[in-house]
Amino acid sequence: MTESRTTLREHEGELVVAAVTPVADAVVELRLVDPSGRALPPWTPGAHVDLVLGDLVRQYSLCGDPTDATAYTVAVLREPDSRGGSSFVHERLGVGSRVLVRGPRNHFPLVSAPRYLFVAGGIGVTPLLPMIAEADASGADWRLVYRGRSRATMAYAARLAELGERVTLLPGDETGPMDLKAVLGEPAEGTLVYCCGPERLLAGAEEICTASWPAGALHLERFAAKEAEVPAEGERAFELVLAGSGVTLQVPVDRSVFDVIQDAGISVLGSCHEGICGTCEQVVLEGEVDHRDSVLNEAERAANDAMMVCVSRCRSDRLVLDL
Amino acid sequence: MGATRRATSAAVPTDCWYALTTSAEVGRSLLSVRAVGVPVVLFRAEDGGVAALEDRCAHRAYPLSAGTLLGDRVRCGLCGFVYDAAGRCVSVPTQPRVPLGAEVAAYPVVERDGLVWVWLGEPGRARLHRVPELPWLADEGWASVGGAAEVAAGFLLLHENFADVTQVPHVAPEIAPVALAAAPPPLDVVVTETTVELRRTFPPAPMPPWQAELVGGDTGEQATVQEGYFVSPAVWVDVWDVVGDAGPTARLRFSHLVTPVDEGTSRLVWRVSRDFAVGDRSADERLRAMFADYYDRVRTAMETAQAVLDLDGPGPEVNVAADVAALRVREIVLGMLADEGVVLTGPRRRTRRPS
Repeated sequence: MTESRTTLREHEGELVVAAVTPVADAVVELRLVDPSGRALPPWTPGAHVDLVLGDLVRQYSLCGDPTDATAYTVAVLREPDSRGGSSFVHERLGVGSRVLVRGPRNHFPLVSAPRYLFVAGGIGVTPLLPMIAEADASGADWRLVYRGRSRATMAYAARLAELGERVTLLPGDETGPMDLKAVLGEPAEGTLVYCCGPERLLAGAEEICTASWPAGALHLERFAAKEAEVPAEGERAFELVLAGSGVTLQVPVDRSVFDVIQDAGISVLGSCHEGICGTCEQVVLEGEVDHRDSVLNEAERAANDAMMVCVSRCRSDRLVLDL
Repeated sequence: MGATRRATSAAVPTDCWYALTTSAEVGRSLLSVRAVGVPVVLFRAEDGGVAALEDRCAHRAYPLSAGTLLGDRVRCGLCGFVYDAAGRCVSVPTQPRVPLGAEVAAYPVVERDGLVWVWLGEPGRARLHRVPELPWLADEGWASVGGAAEVAAGFLLLHENFADVTQVPHVAPEIAPVALAAAPPPLDVVVTETTVELRRTFPPAPMPPWQAELVGGDTGEQATVQEGYFVSPAVWVDVWDVVGDAGPTARLRFSHLVTPVDEGTSRLVWRVSRDFAVGDRSADERLRAMFADYYDRVRTAMETAQAVLDLDGPGPEVNVAADVAALRVREIVLGMLADEGVVLTGPRRRTRRPS
């Protein structure tokens, strides 16, 4: 009997830019539709897609209406120190442009709770928009604190302001620096904190919540990779055992776990190869993981039961995955 | 609206549109249906719309479905409390004033493609989720036969079974496509956040005799495209398209409407739709009997599997590459449960992490 191969991949499709709308200084909103009018895969608040932009793959949160099967909406800030993704979107995508879209996937899901505190920094507001709609529809008690440099740079600020006193806008040029300690000052039982924005905001939120909030209250998402943490003594090689497939492989210093798995002909999902998107997460059965990703939080890292195989490695001589 | 969420202890996803029954089953009488651990009573209002209420009187433990339908109102058969189609109590027999807060939950309903879709999750979230579309069930170019069964097995077992079509020749060798007898061709599994699709193309082979006879003429050897879709915990769709040089020559759609009754019991409404021999009554009868027998064997197999789980608990399982679709379905369901605040114990992939 011949072996029948199985390939696992994420949904991808070439979509067409149906509209480009400026929604703030240096922020454009793209509306992406299927060229043949087919329904797009469903998603839930907090989900993101990959846009394949030439040689680059970038993640953008879906910020439209999850029930709209005809279009995906993303908002893209032109980053001054762009690695090429945001300038590609701003300079080279217009109405009628075609763009390969992968996903959606969700590593920032909205967990059911009676109360939410949403904290947004700049363009980080995008995944929170559909979350707010869902929290509101569920009858949950919610608040949004949205910080930006100035009102003109804050996407969707006017629309959010219409939601009333649940929303606090903090344009830096009017209100000064945000006092994150005050925003997160009163830990409340049953409240979940959803935070998205620049690294400084996320790191600050992590610090405050680790110190004073119940474990698991803070949910955040990073869209820029943390600095890679290569050990001082350099990379090390290790043995890789795939328990489910029954194979033993060697991971040399210059190759990733992901690449070694793929070379062995075993199908594994992967996308960003930077430890950001969370697609390649695998269950760890044995071995001391050297986490290099931006997906897992401290508690999840310490649990040592899952890893992103695209960037993370192993400190011990043997790594066993449930694959 | 008197829609409030009734707490359910069952570890089944509730934020999902479930096809509780077919349009034909709901008329001007009270129909009792249990889903996701919630008792529901369905009836057709005078304007033709379907109403879904909690099937338990607010006064004492008694099913409203054991009462009487009066116009668009339901009267409890034990105490005489009367409820309108929105679940509000409008009169009680023993006093002129209706007690404050006397109401039963009313659930959002959408009737589409001959199915009655009911939302039993968080009421406000209904509008944030799409109702699946199965147009071949209503389209004139298609003929459908079907049935329904209560299965003493968890809904996930049913989905995992549908996710592996290579089980068909083992369960029902005589109806399985000839192509399935050989080693299956490469399987392409495509995943999104909430859905799984699988696809493979079988090389040219004769149609199974029952199909060749209904299609008629010289059907020869043609390729078959098989697709499977996990649309939501409520829907698995299989596609079998026999494809000749000029495109599809005979198309089949298998619609599986799965509703978790509780953790260990499910309801399966199945439909087999074809775009050949449409309008052929004898074909309808023959196919209905043939597939009723097939789905009865599926039911027996799933109940046997559930009995093993009930007796000995979940054990270590060996997975093969082709299980990837079934495993992904599990992950999606576990993620949905985590989002709904249901935390399960035991080893599992944690692609989506509960708080």
